[in-house]
Amino acid sequence: VTTDHKRIGILYIWTSLIFLVLSGLMALAMRLQLSQANADVLSPDRYNELATIHGTSMVFLVGVPILAGFANYLVPLMIGAPDVAFPRLNALSYWLFFFGGAVLMLSFFADGGAAQAGWTSYPPLATQTPGNGQDLWILSIHTLTAGSIAGAINFIVTIHNLRAPGMSWTRMPLFVWSVEIYAWLLIAVLPVLSAALTFILLDRGLSIGPWEVQTHVFDAVEGGAPLLYQHAFWFFGHPEVYIIVLPAFGIISEVLPVFARKPIFGYKAIAASTVAIGFFSMLVWAHHMFTVGLPIPLQAYFMIASMIIAVPTGMKIFNWLATLWRGNLSFETPMLYAIGFLSLFVIGGLTGIYLAAFPIDWQVHDSYFVVGHFHYTLFGGVVFAIFAGLFYWWPKMFGRRLDEKLGKWQFWLLFIGFNLTFFPQHLLGLEGMPRRIYTYGQEGWEGYNLASTVGSWVTGVAVLLFLLNVIRTRRSGERVGNDPWQADTLEWYTTSPPPPHNFDTVPYVTSARPLYDLRRKLREQRGDRQPA
Amino acid sequence: VRAKLLPAVGFFLLALVAAPHALADAGDFAPVTPESPNADAIRDSYLFVSLFVFGIFVLVEALLIAFIVRYRRRGRPRFEDGAPIHGATRLELLWTALPVVVLFFIGAFVFWKLPGIDDVPDAEASGQLEIRVTGAQFYWEYRYPNGVVAIDAMRAPAGVPVRLEVTAPAGDVIHSWWIPALGGKIDAIPGQVNETWFQAEKPGVYTGQCAELCGLEHALMTASVEVLPAADFEAWLEQRSREQAAGRGELGRETWEGVCAKCHGLAGEGGIGRPLVGSVILQDPAALEPIVRNGRRTMPAVGAGWTTEQFEALASYLQENPPQGETTSGG
Repeated sequence: VTTDHKRIGILYIWTSLIFLVLSGLMALAMRLQLSQANADVLSPDRYNELATIHGTSMVFLVGVPILAGFANYLVPLMIGAPDVAFPRLNALSYWLFFFGGAVLMLSFFADGGAAQAGWTSYPPLATQTPGNGQDLWILSIHTLTAGSIAGAINFIVTIHNLRAPGMSWTRMPLFVWSVEIYAWLLIAVLPVLSAALTFILLDRGLSIGPWEVQTHVFDAVEGGAPLLYQHAFWFFGHPEVYIIVLPAFGIISEVLPVFARKPIFGYKAIAASTVAIGFFSMLVWAHHMFTVGLPIPLQAYFMIASMIIAVPTGMKIFNWLATLWRGNLSFETPMLYAIGFLSLFVIGGLTGIYLAAFPIDWQVHDSYFVVGHFHYTLFGGVVFAIFAGLFYWWPKMFGRRLDEKLGKWQFWLLFIGFNLTFFPQHLLGLEGMPRRIYTYGQEGWEGYNLASTVGSWVTGVAVLLFLLNVIRTRRSGERVGNDPWQADTLEWYTTSPPPPHNFDTVPYVTSARPLYDLRRKLREQRGDRQPA
Repeated sequence: VRAKLLPAVGFFLLALVAAPHALADAGDFAPVTPESPNADAIRDSYLFVSLFVFGIFVLVEALLIAFIVRYRRRGRPRFEDGAPIHGATRLELLWTALPVVVLFFIGAFVFWKLPGIDDVPDAEASGQLEIRVTGAQFYWEYRYPNGVVAIDAMRAPAGVPVRLEVTAPAGDVIHSWWIPALGGKIDAIPGQVNETWFQAEKPGVYTGQCAELCGLEHALMTASVEVLPAADFEAWLEQRSREQAAGRGELGRETWEGVCAKCHGLAGEGGIGRPLVGSVILQDPAALEPIVRNGRRTMPAVGAGWTTEQFEALASYLQENPPQGETTSGG
């Protein structure tokens, strides 16, 4: 069992990519079922299982861990450390993730199939669904949670203690800033989820040997409160969105300056907005609950709090745009994905304003409008950022660059396929199509649904091209040396791939762009004016 | 200067407030055509927000494209530095403050519209109708003040505010009431009663369906509201009341189609529930009632709160129309 953060990081990324493909196939099956009215591709129970596991897996087995993979690989390298603070704990985190994920995927073979209550798993539905799928779902999330918390502690201790000489907080790469906040959020909100899920487990009834436990926390028949769960779940669930989105933001903040040949615009503002988003994300949970009948003043508070988050998010978008201003822009694949991210995440952010305004939310809540909205943030946003990161750091991880031609084909297919899949879903929601339905009778909904299904195939082909690219690059990818992009951060100072101990020496860090400083110093010594 | 500024600001605000009406024909890009004042005010809010959303969208994407075109590399060396700009405090303050102003306008508009969305209109003159809406797996039950029960298909009088008390049986799961043309949705939650309302002027049938995942046949939990001229509505309510007291009539059919058929098939051919063709239990109200009231195995207790008259109406419907299986199923 390896304890090298780089190998663990790569294991995280491979495992998450496998889950991405599996969960993507589930989505393709659901889109096939919804491609026309009254279709007969999936039975209702199979559809609900796929919808539940697709959502759960994309959040817990793809979004969080693939970014944990990037963080694992990059944080020690970016801060000039030989490894994370607790390498063995790090290995434990990965293996908890692996087994938690395996439990979730294998739960399809359980008695009664996989969980069917959606990734949000609201009681009483989640407490009443028969079979073992729901119990295994809880076991899986508990396992993943333990791994995530251990990983988060590891990142925090690493970032606080192992930074290279000279790397003060304001000289730390913005990706590392995002991982710092990602880790604090995980520690703050995951235990609340664990408590809520344990109550569901006990409400379902648990018998261990002679002991039987049966609680009624969420059971209205015995005076329990079904809504209590929703508060707990969304106290976790909304920050979870930012747990996934913040490191994706971090990737964009690393990629854009390198391909614009400029420093990031407003470093401190971006770091501060990351902290602000993390903090406010814990104060907005009930905007997911505007239709449960909360008192109006409470809904008004959650609306205002949710809108406040738009301010630091807007700051980031404008700062990224300004980073392009007067640059020397070069459009290799990582940059294409970063720009794709920028253009799509804006749409996801803007549709969020409708959802934050609670009377409007009463109309669009739990409709396909919401499905469109969060796929623009999590797919148009996070997945595009992940591909930007994969194409950008691939040469560092494996010494070879992913094929540019295939990469550009993949980008355009993904961009078109993504928009074709998810834009029409907003319109379906406005027409009254609720989410999580396995079928519909309205022929008027068929056009947009078919477009969405066709888009999902195009998206599937794009992901296939990536896998093809990985195989081809493994065999015959171009070897590009230690620093192919002439980047600014310390991971590019060492060899590609780096040796087990990462660095023989680390330069003294004098700014947020240590390698830029180093290159300038070398140029000055040589007497050159222009960069090589 | 200030004297000129004031009317300008006033005009700007007026334009903003009036804009939603100008955008009334937004087609598929806005919620469905409203038929009730609350749905109308929600749509206005939606269109008002759309002004800003569209503006910001165009601004960001246009800047992005402009920068891509203007600052692309062209003939410059690949690694030549761009302008060494680290930030601009004033600019950054501006784009921090501007969204605050935009969000303030949006918030103010929403709160201005809120009473028209949330408050049930006073109806001293025309009277007000209250209907109890209960969401259960996988049907909607409507209970009128005079005790009349209807399933899935609601009837309501035109021009009268209709107040809905929305809930779910204690042992059931959460559902959500949503008829898009008649307003936003409100959840039906076990152990809790929520309120919403509508007031439709135009007779017609408005459809919607459950919006909260409630189990296997969530997708089939549809609802409709038929708005009738007030006199027709009174006549219907009167007739239903008489039929119901006698344990027969439309309620039997509605119960079969709305409650039983969603799992057992419209012709009893079976679905996620077992086939009921030729079932002896259907012919025997005494055997049927305890199963429907209490549920059995995976079948929920769909009839937990039903009156004896409703069981009689169901039984008499089934005696006249025993499920025939697939041969007579018309869909």
